[in-house]
Amino acid sequence: MMLAYVRLEIRRTLRDTGFVIVGIATPLLMYVLFTNIGASDSAKDSMDYARYSMIGMAAYGALGAALAVGPGVAEDKARGWLRQLRVTPLSPFQVVVGRALTAGVTVLPAIVSVFAAGALVNGVRLAAWQWAAAAGLMWLGTVPFTLLGLGNGYGFSAQTTGVVSMASMMGLSVIGGLWFPVDAFPHWLASISRWTPTARFGDLGWSVLAHHGPGAGTLSVLALWLVLFAGYAVFSYRRSARTV
Amino acid sequence: MTEAARFRAVGKRFGAVQALRGLDLGIAAGETLALLGRNGAGKSTTIALLLGLDRPDDGEVELFGGVPEAAVRAGRVGAMLQEGQPVPRATVKELVSFVASTYPRPLPWREALELAGIGELAERRADRLSGGQAQRLRFALAVAGGPELLVLDEPTAALDVEARRAFWRSMRAYAGRGNTVLFSTHYLEEADGNADRIVVLDQGRTVADGTGEAIKRAVGATLVAFDLAGGSTRGLRGLPGVLALEVRGDRAVLRSSDSDATVLALAAAGLVRGLSVTPASLEDAFLTLTAHDSAGADARTDASAGAGTGAGTGTGATPDPAQSYEEAAR
Repeated sequence: MMLAYVRLEIRRTLRDTGFVIVGIATPLLMYVLFTNIGASDSAKDSMDYARYSMIGMAAYGALGAALAVGPGVAEDKARGWLRQLRVTPLSPFQVVVGRALTAGVTVLPAIVSVFAAGALVNGVRLAAWQWAAAAGLMWLGTVPFTLLGLGNGYGFSAQTTGVVSMASMMGLSVIGGLWFPVDAFPHWLASISRWTPTARFGDLGWSVLAHHGPGAGTLSVLALWLVLFAGYAVFSYRRSARTV
Repeated sequence: MTEAARFRAVGKRFGAVQALRGLDLGIAAGETLALLGRNGAGKSTTIALLLGLDRPDDGEVELFGGVPEAAVRAGRVGAMLQEGQPVPRATVKELVSFVASTYPRPLPWREALELAGIGELAERRADRLSGGQAQRLRFALAVAGGPELLVLDEPTAALDVEARRAFWRSMRAYAGRGNTVLFSTHYLEEADGNADRIVVLDQGRTVADGTGEAIKRAVGATLVAFDLAGGSTRGLRGLPGVLALEVRGDRAVLRSSDSDATVLALAAAGLVRGLSVTPASLEDAFLTLTAHDSAGADARTDASAGAGTGAGTGTGATPDPAQSYEEAAR
C-alpha cells in the first residue's frame, strides 16, 4: 500500500509545472546555454567545461527535485491531507518513507536529461562504467537533500517552505560550485565550499570523470550532512506529528 | 449488543482549556449516533481521540476492543475530518482508488463515488471541484475503504440546503449496510432526522443521551408563555409544574412538566395576557440542556441572558424560538 502512495505522489509531482521547470527544464536549459554561449579559447577548455558543467547541472537539477519534496509535504499538511492519511491504514511513518521514495524517483529525470544533453549535444564521451557510476552515485547522493526537503516540509508552513527551499537550492548550488567551478572562487569562499554538501555531492560525479571514485573526504563530509539532515527531518516530523 | 467504541472517564486538556471532563460514552455496533453541541463543546476533541489522532490525558478510549490506532491501522475506520481541502494535481478517481487500496476490504472506487453522488466526476482534478463537490469527495474518501465505523466531523458545514439533504441520503445509505456511523453537528434537525441516538455534549461532558423524543421529554415537554407587561417574575418559578423560567423580551417563558396545572395557576394569578402553550422544540431542549451553570438561575431571568444563549447555537440555521412564540400568541 506504500507503493500505491509512491505511485500517486510521483504522478502528482510530474504534473507540477513548477517542479518540471525547476527540477528538469531549468538545469537542462542552463547546461546547454552555459556550455554553448561564449566561445572558449580552445576546444579542450570547452570540452572540460562541458564535462564539469554536465555534473554540476545534473547535481543542481537533482538538488532542486529532492528539495521539492518540502513544499509538496507542506502543502499536503496545510490542506489537511496528511491528517486524512492518518485515519487510513497507512501509518505516518509509511507516509514519510513513501515521500522519500518518491523523491528517489523524481530526481532521476534531471540527472538523466542533463547527461543525455552532455552526450548528444556537447559530445561528452565517457566509458560505460563512468556513465553508470556517475549516475548511480549522484542518485544515492540526493538522499541527504531529500531529508533536508522533508525537514523543511514538516517544519514550516507551505509558503515558508517554498522560500526556504528556493534559498537553500540557490545558495547551496552556487557555493557548492555546481554553477561555476570552485577554482574561480576567492580563497575564503573556496574553503567554505569544501564543507558544503553540494560541493561533495558534485564531487561524486566529478571524481568519476577523473577516473577514480569519490575519496574519503567527500564520503565523510556527505555522511556528516546525511546525519545532520536526517536529525532535522526527524525533529520536524516529530514536532509536526503533534499538530497534523 | 456489541460495542464499537467506548470512552471511559476521558479527560483532555489543551493548555488552560479543559476540552473533555470525564466523558463516558459507548457506541453500539450498527447504530448511527449524533454528537450534538455548540462550538467548543468537545465534539472534535471526542472525534480526534476516537480516531487516535490525539491521546486522552485521563481515562481511556477503546475502539473495536483495542487502542484506536490499532483499529485504524486494521482498516476498520473511515473518517471525514473538518477543514480538509482536496489536494491538487490528482483526479477524484486517483485519490479515491488510492485510499481504497490502503484498506483490506475496500469498496470498488466507482461504488464509493456513486455512494457520494460524484460518479460523473471521476476524471476531474480534485482541486477544481466546487465546495459541495469537494465535500462529497471527502465523503467518498471516508467510505472508500468500506470501514465498519464511519466518523463524520461536522460533515455538512458550509453546504447549502439541497446539498445537505443529498449528503444525508448518502450517509443513511452507508449506515443502512449495517455499518456504525458517528457524526457531529450543531444543527439539531440534522441530529434528530438522521441519528438513532443523540448525545448532547456541553463543556466537555455529556448532558443528555437518547433519541430526539427522549431528550425532549427529559427536559419538559411544554412551554407556557405570557406577556409580563412590566410585571415581576417573582413567584413564577414556584408555580405547579414549572421546571424553568426564562424571560424573552417582555415575555415570560415557563418550561412545564404539567402545562394544565401551570396555566390554571397563572389564570388564578391573572397572568394570561397573550398566553400561549406550545410543545418544546428540540432546540428548546438543547438550550435548556446546555444552559451553563455559571450563568445561574437568576441570570436567566434577565432578557439578555436568554438572547445570548440563542445566539450561541447559530440562530441563522434554526427558527428563532422567541419569534415562534410571538407568532403563536397572535
